[in-house]
Amino acid sequence: MTDLALRIRGLKKAFDKPVITGLDLDVAAGQLYALLGPNGAGKTTTLRMVTGLTRPDAGSIEIYGIDAARDPLGAKAITAWLPDDPMLYDKLTPTEYLAFVAGLWRVPPAQAVPEAERLLKWLELWDQRDTRCEGFSRGMKQKVALAGALIHQPRLLILDEPLTGLDATMARSVKDALRAQVDAGATVIVTTHILEVAERLADRIGIIAHGRMLVEGTMAELRERVGGEDATLEDAFIRLTSEAA
Amino acid sequence: MARTSLLPPGSFPWLVAHEIRQTMRGMRARTRTRTRWLGYALLAGYVAIGCFVGWGLSFVPIRFSGLASTIILAVSIGAFAFMVAQAVLGSQHTLYEAGDLDLLLSAPMPERTVLAAKLTGIAGAIVATYLVLLLPMLVPIAVLGHPALLGAVGLLLALALVAACLGLAITLALAKLAGPRAARTVGQIAAAVLGGALFLFGQYTSNGPRSGRAAIFDWLRHRHLGESGIGALPGKAAFGDPLAILLLCGGALLVFAATGFAFQRWFLTSYQMASVRLSRAAPTGKAIGRTFRTGLFATIVAKEVRLLLRDPALAFQIVLRVVYLAPLLFLALGRNNAVPVAPTLAFASVVVIGQLAGSFAWLAISAEDTPDLLTVAPVDKRDVDRAKLAAALAMAAPLGVILPLAVATETPVGGLVTLALTAAAGVAAGYIELRLAKPMPRKSFNQRRGGGAVAGILAMLVTVVFGGLAAGAVYLLG
Repeated sequence: MTDLALRIRGLKKAFDKPVITGLDLDVAAGQLYALLGPNGAGKTTTLRMVTGLTRPDAGSIEIYGIDAARDPLGAKAITAWLPDDPMLYDKLTPTEYLAFVAGLWRVPPAQAVPEAERLLKWLELWDQRDTRCEGFSRGMKQKVALAGALIHQPRLLILDEPLTGLDATMARSVKDALRAQVDAGATVIVTTHILEVAERLADRIGIIAHGRMLVEGTMAELRERVGGEDATLEDAFIRLTSEAA
Repeated sequence: MARTSLLPPGSFPWLVAHEIRQTMRGMRARTRTRTRWLGYALLAGYVAIGCFVGWGLSFVPIRFSGLASTIILAVSIGAFAFMVAQAVLGSQHTLYEAGDLDLLLSAPMPERTVLAAKLTGIAGAIVATYLVLLLPMLVPIAVLGHPALLGAVGLLLALALVAACLGLAITLALAKLAGPRAARTVGQIAAAVLGGALFLFGQYTSNGPRSGRAAIFDWLRHRHLGESGIGALPGKAAFGDPLAILLLCGGALLVFAATGFAFQRWFLTSYQMASVRLSRAAPTGKAIGRTFRTGLFATIVAKEVRLLLRDPALAFQIVLRVVYLAPLLFLALGRNNAVPVAPTLAFASVVVIGQLAGSFAWLAISAEDTPDLLTVAPVDKRDVDRAKLAAALAMAAPLGVILPLAVATETPVGGLVTLALTAAAGVAAGYIELRLAKPMPRKSFNQRRGGGAVAGILAMLVTVVFGGLAAGAVYLLG
C-alpha cells in the first residue's frame, strides 16, 4: 500500500517541440493539489498523460501504486478526469449520462442509482434530470460532467479548470465538493488560473513552466521561497515564472 | 503589409465578397489536396472536351427553334428544382449553422444589407456549382463561333437568384410552422427529403418502367409551352436574345428585392428563435433507476440507440443514403422487367442493409461525441468497439428482415439465404468501418467519405459481392 496517489518520474512529451521535459511529481493521497503554470506550460498535457489520453515519450506514471503503462485499466478504474470542455452528449439527459458513465466504470445499478440521485440533487440538477443537455448553459454542463466524474467514486479526481463557466454560488459548491472529496479520503488535482482559489483551497501547490516543475510545496513554503511573509500566491507565481522565463 | 480592399468596407458588395470568400474556403476545406488535384485534372479534361465540341460546332449553324426552346425549358425546370433544394440547404446553413449572424447583425450596418448579402451568397454558391458544369463546354462553343449562347449564363443567374429567394422562403415558412424548437430539425429533414425526392424523380424519369423524361418533354411540347410567350423566355435567353435576358434577370432582381423587403423581419425572428436553445423535456417523474443498465454492452447499445433516435435529421440523412441506391433497383426493374424480381430484391436487401449497417457503424464508432470519455474509462477499446458494432447491427436489423421476407414469399430457402447474406454483409460493412474509418464529428455524416474513402469504397465492394452471391443463389433456388 502506498501513501502516494500520483507518482510521476522523468515524464517527457514532445509534439512539434518539447512540451514536457522530464517532469517529476509526487502527490500524496488525501490531498488537494493545485497544479499551476503559465499558458502552454504543459499542465493539461501532463494531466492528459496521467489519464491515458496522451502517450508519454518517456517516464513513468503510477496511480496509487498502479503503473499506468502496465495496467491502464486498473489505473483508470480509480481515476476520474474532468476537462475544461465537458465530455457530454448533448442528446442525453443528465440521468442518462450518469447511467452511461456508471456503465463504463461498471458500477452496479444498485450502487449507481442512489449515488446518481444524490449527485443530481446536490448539484441542483434534479429538476433537469430528464432534460437533454443540449439546451444547458456551460455551467450546467460542467455540473453534469462533474456528477459523471464523481459517480464511480474515484480515488483520484483530476480536474482541468473546473470553475470555468460557473456562477459564484456554483463555484462555491464545487470548491466545497472538492474539499469534501478530500475529507472523504480521495485525492484531488486541479489546474486553475484563478490563483486565489488555489491559495485558499490547495494543500500543496506545484508550479510548472516549460514542461518541468519550477517549485512545489505548501503555500507557506512558496512564500518562504520568494522571501516574503505577506506574499500572495500571485506574487510568488509571477516572480517564479518570470525567473524561469 | 495590409491589403486594401477595392470595395468600401461595410458596403453590400464588400459583404457579398466576404460571403463568396467564405463559401469558396468552405468548399476547399471539404476537399483534401489529393481530391482537389483530381478535380482540377477532371476539369482540365472537361475543358479539353469542351474545346473539341466547340471546334466541331463552329462549322454548324445553331439557331433558335421551338424544339430547342422546349428542351431548354425542360432542363431549366429540372435544374431550378435542384437549385431550390440547394437553396433550402444554404438557408438552413445560414440561419442555424454558419454562426456569423451574431457578428453581422451586431455590426453597424442595415439588417437588410446583411440579408441581401446572405441571399446573394446562397445564389452565388448555386451559380458556382452550375457554372463549373456549364462554362467549360459553353465558353469554347461561344468563342469558336456562337457567342450568342453566352446568354445561358444570364439564364443561370436568373434561375439561381429566384431559387435562392424561394429556398429562403421555404426555410422561413418551415421555421414558422414548426416553431423555434423544431425549426432546425424540420428544415434539415425537409431539405433532405426534397433533395431525395428530386433524385428519385430524376432516376425514375430516366430509368423507370416508362420513359418519364420523354413523357414530360412530350407534355411540354404538345402544349407548345416552350415555343412562345413566357415559356420561351429561357430558350430565347440561352440563345442570346437581349430582351429575354433583360426580362429574366430584371424579373429575378425584382424577386430578389421583394424577398429582401418582405422577409427581413421573418428572417430576423427565425434567427433569434434559432439562437434560443430551448430545453426539451420536463421531469417525467419516473424513477431514474430504469435508465441504468447492467453491463458495458447494454450501456453502449442503449446510448447509441438514444443518440440516433434523438437526431431525426441525421436519421433522415442515413435513409437518404439508401434512397440514393434506388437507381440500382430502377435499372434492374425498369426496362421491361429485364431481371427477375426475387434475385433483384435479394441483391437490394444485401446492399441496402450493408450500407445502413456501415452508416450506423460510422455513427457509433467514428462519430463518437466524446472519445476522451471512453479513453479514460476502464474499459478495453475492443470491448467498446464490439458493443458499438453490435449496436449498429441492432439498429439496422429491423429493416434487414423486410426484403428477405419478400424474397421468402417466392422462395422460402432463398429468403433464408438472403437473410443470412444480408446479416453477413452488415457485419462485414460494420467491421470495415471499425477497422478503417477516421474519426469525424457526427454532423459531418455527409462528408464522411472524405475522411474514410477507403472504408466507403471497400464496404460498397463487399456488399455488392455479397449481394451478387445472394442474387445468384436466389435465382438458382427460384
